[in-house]
Amino acid sequence: MMMRGMIMTTESQTFTEKYDLLGCIQCGRCTGGCPVTVRADLNVRQFVDDAYDEEKLDELARLAEIWDCTACHTCAVRCPKGLKPLEVLIGLRSLIVESGKVEPTVRDALQSVLLEGNPWEKSRATRQDWMEGLDVRIAEPGEHVKNLFFVCCTNAYDPRVQVTAKNMIKILNKAGVDYAFLPEDESCCGSEVFTIGEEGLFEMIVEDNTEFLNEFSADRIVTLSPHCFTTYRTHFPDLKLPVIHYTQLLDELIEEGKLAWTGELPKKVVYHDPCYLGKQSGVFDEPRRILKSIPGVELLEFDRSRERSLCCEGGGGKMWVESESKKERLAETRIKDAKVLEADIVAAACPFCVLTLEDAMKGLGYEEEMRVAEIMELLGELIED
Amino acid sequence: MKTIVCIKYVPDTSEAEVKVNPDGKTVDDAKFSFDINDADNYAVEESVLVKEDKGGEVDVLSIGPKQSEVMIRMAMAKGCDRATRVEDDRIADHDPLMVAKVLAGALKDQEFDLIFTGCWAEDDGHMSTGVALAEYLGINHASMVKKVEVLDGKVKAHRELEGGLMEVVELELPAVLTIQTGINEPRYAPIRGIRQAQKKELNVVNLDDLGLDPSEVGSEASLVVLENLYIPEVESAAEFIEGEADEKAEKLASILVKGGLV
Repeated sequence: MMMRGMIMTTESQTFTEKYDLLGCIQCGRCTGGCPVTVRADLNVRQFVDDAYDEEKLDELARLAEIWDCTACHTCAVRCPKGLKPLEVLIGLRSLIVESGKVEPTVRDALQSVLLEGNPWEKSRATRQDWMEGLDVRIAEPGEHVKNLFFVCCTNAYDPRVQVTAKNMIKILNKAGVDYAFLPEDESCCGSEVFTIGEEGLFEMIVEDNTEFLNEFSADRIVTLSPHCFTTYRTHFPDLKLPVIHYTQLLDELIEEGKLAWTGELPKKVVYHDPCYLGKQSGVFDEPRRILKSIPGVELLEFDRSRERSLCCEGGGGKMWVESESKKERLAETRIKDAKVLEADIVAAACPFCVLTLEDAMKGLGYEEEMRVAEIMELLGELIED
Repeated sequence: MKTIVCIKYVPDTSEAEVKVNPDGKTVDDAKFSFDINDADNYAVEESVLVKEDKGGEVDVLSIGPKQSEVMIRMAMAKGCDRATRVEDDRIADHDPLMVAKVLAGALKDQEFDLIFTGCWAEDDGHMSTGVALAEYLGINHASMVKKVEVLDGKVKAHRELEGGLMEVVELELPAVLTIQTGINEPRYAPIRGIRQAQKKELNVVNLDDLGLDPSEVGSEASLVVLENLYIPEVESAAEFIEGEADEKAEKLASILVKGGLV
C-alpha cells in the first residue's frame, strides 16, 4: 500500500490532532517572525489558539487573512516545538476549497492543474514549446541518465522565466553533462495546490507524479524551481530518486572545473534567498558560490538573508490571491533594501521570486539602475554558444 | 423544481494559435485545451443555485466525446444529480438547429420546469441552440439572461440588452433560459467532489437509443453547409509612436486631427 505524505490523515482525525494543536505552547515566535504581519492583519499564533475550538473552524476559515500567508515557513523554522503553524492556515483554506467558494483566480488555477497539469491555464500540449530550436535531450523510461530535469510549470510557460530552462540546456550541452528533460507528460509538482489547501488534488498529484517519475532511471532528479524541489523532498515519500536543485548541480560542475565563464560581470550583485530553497531546504551556499565564481561580481548580502530572508510573497498560492492590504509589498521592501545596498543586480534562483521582485522593481521605477535576474539568466550571458 | 442544464465541451482558443487544416473545414486542435463552454459553466452554477434555493434536481445533458466526461463529472461535483451524454458521429453538429433537435429528442419524454443553456458557444458562436431547443419543445424561452427569479409556476428572467439596458420578462414554466456570463460566480469543483460524483448516474446514448432518425439530424437534413474556414488577413497594422512623451502626444494629436477623429 502506498504511504502517503504527512498531511494525509484519516477521516476520524480531528483538526486539533491533524495539526498537533495541543503541542503548541503559545510562545508567539511564529507571529513574531512572520514577515506578513507588517502588511496584513495575520496572527498565526492566534489562529493556532482559536482552532482548538472545532465549532469555530468555519468562522475562522472565512477570515480573509488566512489567504495572506505565503507559506514561507518562517513560523515553522522558528517554532521551538517543531510544529508548522502555517499548515493550520492551509487546513482552514481547505475547508473553503472543499465548499468550492474560492476566488475565481484560485478556482481557475486549480482546475487547470487538474485538466492540463499546470496552474497557468495553458494547454498541456504546449508544455514543451519553449524547447523549439534547442538541442535538448528528452528522457525515456528505462534509458538511464545521470541528471533528470523537471522544468516546472512556471519556467515552461511564462515567457519571462523560460530563459532559466533555455540557458540550462546551453550550459549542460557545453559542460558535457549527462542529462535529459522529462517528456511533456510532466505535470505540476503540486506545491501551490498543497498550500492553497486542495488536499484531494494534492493527494492525486503525489500518487500520479510518484508513479510517473518512478518509471525513469536516473541518478537524481534536478528541479529548476525551489518549489518543486522542496515539494518533492517533503511530500513524496515513495519517490525513488533523490531530488536536488539546479544550483547544487552547477556548484558541483564549478567545483569539478567543468564550467568556464567567458567574459566578466563587473557588477554589485545581491542574492535573494528564495524561501523554498533556503529556509525550507537549507540550500544557502551553493547559489552564493555560483555567483562568486563569475569574474567581476561583487557579492553583497541583505541584512535579512539566509534563514532570515524576507519572503517575496510569491508562494503559498499568492500568485493567484491578491492581498486585501494596500501596504507596501514585501517584494518592494526587498528592492528598496537592495537600493540602499547600491546593488546593480538582485539575483534569485526561483521563478516566483524573479517575477514578484521584478514587478516591484518596475513599480518603484528603478528599471534604469537595477536589474532583477534569475542566476541562470546571468550565467547564460557568460557562456559561449 | 426539475432543471435541465445543457453543456458543451469546447476548445480554449484564447491562448493557442488557431490553424485551419488542409481540408479547409476543420481546425487543428492538437494544441488546444478543452473545457466546458464558458457561458455553460454559468448555466451549471445557476441550475445548482436554483436547486439550493428551491430544492429539486438538476440533470446535465450534453452532446460530446468520451473526453468530455470530466466536464460532466465536474458539474455533478457542483451539485447536478445525473447526466446524459449523447455521442453519435451522424449528428450535423456544425448546425445549431440539428443540435437543438437532438437535445429536444433526448428530452421528449421527460418532465422538467426549467432548461438552462449558455447563451452562446465559444467555438462556433451561433447563439441559437437554446432558442431553437425551446422552439422544438414548443415552450417559452428568454435569451441572454443575467438574473433568474423562480416564482410559483413562472420564472422572471432579466435579459441583458445592449447599452446596459435590462429587460425583465415573466415566462410560464416550463421554459428555456439561455444564460449570460457574469450572472453568478461559478464555484470550484474539488477533486473529492468529482470522485464522489463518479457514483452518480451518467448515461451514454446514441441516436438509436433516443429513437431519433439520423436522416433528420444529419447533414442531409441540415440547411447549413460548412463551406470554408479561414483566418482573416491582417489588413492594417498597429502604428507605434516613438519619442519623448511630448513628441508622442504631438504626433498622436496630429494623427487624430488628420483622420478627422477629433
